[in-house]
Amino acid sequence: MDLVVNGEAYRHNGEATIAGLLRECRAEAGRTAVMVNGDVVRKDSFDSVSLSDGDHVELIVIAAGG
Amino acid sequence: MTDGLKLGDRVFSSRLLLGTGKFSSTDAMIRAVRASGAELVTVALRRFHPGRPVDDVLAPLAAIEGLTLVPNTSGARDAGEAFRAAQLGRELCGSPFVKLEIHPNPHHLLPDPIETYEAARILVGEGFLVLPYMPADPVLARRLEDLGCAAVMPLGAAIGSGQGLTTMSMLKLIIRDASVPVIVDAGLRSPSEAALTMEIGGDAVLVNSAIAAAENPELMASAFAAAVRAGRDAWKAGLMPQSDLAVATSPLTGFLAGGEAG
Repeated sequence: MDLVVNGEAYRHNGEATIAGLLRECRAEAGRTAVMVNGDVVRKDSFDSVSLSDGDHVELIVIAAGG
Repeated sequence: MTDGLKLGDRVFSSRLLLGTGKFSSTDAMIRAVRASGAELVTVALRRFHPGRPVDDVLAPLAAIEGLTLVPNTSGARDAGEAFRAAQLGRELCGSPFVKLEIHPNPHHLLPDPIETYEAARILVGEGFLVLPYMPADPVLARRLEDLGCAAVMPLGAAIGSGQGLTTMSMLKLIIRDASVPVIVDAGLRSPSEAALTMEIGGDAVLVNSAIAAAENPELMASAFAAAVRAGRDAWKAGLMPQSDLAVATSPLTGFLAGGEAG
């Protein structure tokens, strides 16, 4: 499936859920926040929310900042 | 805790909040956080890039006992983006706090008061404890307080500028009228400015660049902590009245021929 992840085209071959995308990207589910098409997805929904072709996904982590 | 900083339903013993940006390394940042005694530290959000290593600040911060993370909304250009950033920060940190900052112009990074107000309205309604970074404007401070913000955070000077308390007269007006804590955020350079903020009745200061960009951040963090405590004690003690004329500290009754003590 073709997604846009963090503003860049991304071909996702794994399970069509957020949990599947995180596994494929090697992003830790516990330390990553996710937004799909502008909506923030709760952590407890990572396994159940499906992804579709063309979805825009943002993967966000904590960084140092003031 | 007899002199705690009360933010919403939470009480903190430290009145120094620390930003975690701009340190030379995560290790230097962690040492400064420990030396500061801060219980509230701000963090930012950034995109995760597949295949690129993550500089993990979450784990070492989580290892410091008693620390509460305050995710910021830096990078948001309007209220809608700030709302989404706050939601993401809450997912990542599990903290009820959000440092609301909307500063669309990268040259001066001054907060947009209109978008900040609108974002604060939404975030308070969503149950966040909102700490809004704001211009040193007493009218806006009152409006943000009326919305239900947990504190107001007027700026001393532009972020990272090190220009000090350029807004002093406005800060005094904000402090005079506020019934939520006033946390002076941004622009401070020296511990004496933090002490002065506390002496005029400020409730806390938030410092980042002044510590991160110091030659010895750990020592500077310690210096800021001492200054904040000294300033707070001075405010509680009550400063003496000022006078245009000298007021003698020794008896002026002459006991030597024609002489008077000074």
